[in-house]
Amino acid sequence: MSIIKYVIKELRRHLWRTVAGISGYVIAAVFILLVLSVTKSNEKDSFGILKGTGTHFIVYIPSNISCCVSCNNEGAGTGGYLFAEGVLTIMLDNDLITSIKKIDGVKDAAPYLLYKLYDKKLNTEVSLGGIDTLNIATKSNVCAATNIIAGKYLSDRQDEIVAEESFAMAHRLSVGDTLNIYGGKLVLAGIINSGIRPGKADIYAPIENVRTILKEKLKCMSPGFDMNIVLVEVTDARIQKRVIDQIKKEMNYLSVSSYNCYEPASKVMTIVEKTSGLLTVLVFCFLIIFSTKTQLTSLIERSREIGILKSLGWSDFTLSRQILLTSLIQSFIGVIIGCSLGLLIILLININNFRLFDLVKFQFQFSSIPLLISLSLAGGVIAGIFPIIKLYRTKAGDMINNYL
Amino acid sequence: MGESQIECIALGKQYTRNKQTINVLNDINLTINLNEIVIIKGRSGAGKSTLLNLMCGLIKPTTGKVIIENKCISELPNNELSRLLSNHIGIIFQSFNLLPTYTIYENIEIAMVPDGSKPRLNKDVIMSLLEQFNLKEKATLLPAELSIGQQQKIAIIRTLVRQPSIIFADEPTGSVDDETAGEILHHLKYLKEQKGATIVIATHGTVPESFADRVIFIENGQIKSNKK
Repeated sequence: MSIIKYVIKELRRHLWRTVAGISGYVIAAVFILLVLSVTKSNEKDSFGILKGTGTHFIVYIPSNISCCVSCNNEGAGTGGYLFAEGVLTIMLDNDLITSIKKIDGVKDAAPYLLYKLYDKKLNTEVSLGGIDTLNIATKSNVCAATNIIAGKYLSDRQDEIVAEESFAMAHRLSVGDTLNIYGGKLVLAGIINSGIRPGKADIYAPIENVRTILKEKLKCMSPGFDMNIVLVEVTDARIQKRVIDQIKKEMNYLSVSSYNCYEPASKVMTIVEKTSGLLTVLVFCFLIIFSTKTQLTSLIERSREIGILKSLGWSDFTLSRQILLTSLIQSFIGVIIGCSLGLLIILLININNFRLFDLVKFQFQFSSIPLLISLSLAGGVIAGIFPIIKLYRTKAGDMINNYL
Repeated sequence: MGESQIECIALGKQYTRNKQTINVLNDINLTINLNEIVIIKGRSGAGKSTLLNLMCGLIKPTTGKVIIENKCISELPNNELSRLLSNHIGIIFQSFNLLPTYTIYENIEIAMVPDGSKPRLNKDVIMSLLEQFNLKEKATLLPAELSIGQQQKIAIIRTLVRQPSIIFADEPTGSVDDETAGEILHHLKYLKEQKGATIVIATHGTVPESFADRVIFIENGQIKSNKK
């Protein structure tokens, strides 16, 4: 008779004890699965929000002189200049974007041309932002089509602009108005409210159009005209600081400006991650304690029998294998049933759309099954260790006489 | 004088129960020779079973040591003791120690598991022994379905099946009728004569002294007489 046959016989012999042992793993597996399915799916949702919170910043090179001086009649002497965050900047070329994009953690980088010019008719300085409308870094740092509150967003038309709501209100502008500004006639296609953004301007136009305005209409003289600001988007709020540090390290001539919103987001994400991890560890600990207790009880109940086997020459190693195998079989059966049951529960919850769980989303995590199986098997091994130590330390005669 | 096979030197055993120390055995010095049948005789509680358990390594002595085949078994690592028990020592317990939920066949078979011998071979040996003891048809029954005498026989078959060189038997005929007792003793004698086994029997009197080569009388945990 093989050891495995004895193990199966033992499991069948004490059916209720076996059922109790297996049920411990079933309960633990179902619970961990539900916890993981809730935390992971909610983590996914909340991370989707949090990851994008503050994951952007701008870089530029500050200067004390304007490198692009307007020299046409309208602009001459009126102080038109490239700027960022209230300071003058110099022009940057496209190679810088390429270098920034290569940094690990940078999701995307976009060029931005921000120019300010005094307008006699409006009697104020008007800032014009030239943007790459489709780039995600533009959307987070400057404005996006979703920020439109009236009219439409920028199209391919060269004379179209969108204006910030505050600017439009101050100058009583409406959608469709034509502005004689920046050396030409620009049509207000839409009004936008972009909120608080590091690259905010009064009016926006596609970057190519702004380049044309600056070069051809204002006759600005500056090499390049690619951009004066690089807008950067990182993949995750938690790595933003590292990316900023890396940029500062590699390109120390750049000024990096961020609203630091990523810091609280990063902290919240870490808390969410740690909470789900802690819950899993706690359940795992309870699982081990429960199964160790079951295995120890089994050993105490079987002590006389094991003592007899020892007296017949069964080695501690053989008996340990038997205990370990018993424990492992229970944990394996338990986790398989637990996973199936967990899947069924999640399916039922999702199909019936239980009201109680309206706010909590259960999403089955197939990727957590190998983790659960590994955890349960590890639990099975750990649960078998204490009985095995006891087995090695106790003499056959004492076991037969139940002096454990 | 024959070749010494089992040697007890200054052997003692104490138990502590409820903060009270009980001296079960005191300063036992004893030599058992190869191919010898020794009866350890004494009243209930004299320490016979404890001495037997100490000699086969089932319990640890408080003092002294037991040497079997030049090995101090009380100091043997667990795996070596298991090997010794598996290959050389057979124990017949007073209370049979059959596993209640295993069939008769399985109860005998478990004694062969440590050998790793082939199941087919095991089956032939087991069935042959069951036939010798007229228990062949009981192979698939559980111990509780057998009489006390039959259970005792099964416990003996379980020991005989491995043909050990040393047999420790605790009251092997204590629970059986005279006829069965005769059968059991006949088999033990056969093992001594045909297989060269050394046999140590603990009894309070159910085994006749004439059966043994030597009788050791124990009283209050001490040897009172050791005669041929």
